Amino acid sequence: MNTKVAHILGSQIPASVLRPDAADELAEWGGPNVVRGKRVLDVGCGDGRLALGAAPYAREVVGLDPDDQLIKTATAKASQQGLSNARFVVGAGQELPFDDSAFDLVILSWAL
Amino acid sequence: MVDALHEVHRVLAPRGTLVDARPDSRVLAYVEQVRAQGHRRVGVIRTSSRELPNDRASDRAIATVARERSFRRRGTHRFWHMVPFEGLDAVRAYLANHLRFEKRARWTVDAAERRRIRGERFVIRRAVRWELLDKI
Repeated sequence: MNTKVAHILGSQIPASVLRPDAADELAEWGGPNVVRGKRVLDVGCGDGRLALGAAPYAREVVGLDPDDQLIKTATAKASQQGLSNARFVVGAGQELPFDDSAFDLVILSWAL
Repeated sequence: MVDALHEVHRVLAPRGTLVDARPDSRVLAYVEQVRAQGHRRVGVIRTSSRELPNDRASDRAIATVARERSFRRRGTHRFWHMVPFEGLDAVRAYLANHLRFEKRARWTVDAAERRRIRGERFVIRRAVRWELLDKI
């Protein structure tokens, strides 16, 4: 369970704080084996909540989101966590800026 | 939405997998008091009527790409996500600002009981629906 307690009361809380922890969500899908060794695309990645949780197991993780501020936040988090296999790009799901067959797993978590 | 799923299909390698996970508006959410002996349900929260058409459109988009034989569905699953709060005021503030839910819970305990427990710890328990789809 997400252990962060929501105080709200006028403050702007990032949506990711109020969503499941990446480890919990991955566990529901079958655990790290779902992403292990794979090229993963997280569409609508926000601040990288799920992409950063998948990165320690995946071969490569790319997060895509139309909000450039969230992409900056996700990129900074990846750097802080030393996740060299994670990168984040600004873009929309209707026109993915990637080659055909570039990924083994695509995640639409709270995005469709 | 179907356009986005076609793009997902394009960038997926052969035998690649799509994970679709999102809140399940078919299922009510609940306000629960956290107690040592377990959670006690004190309210029910419905999905905002403004959000229901979006959820149905997402469902239709998934059904469309499955019908097109772009993806093979492996079946849907559900888990419960609990958002913790310190006090009923925090729950109310959350609902007042939340787009997916109705602005007020439908309480299943009376006003006097709500006043008595307002400083306790609570969770909003809501369903998340997910499914894996294999690229065909």
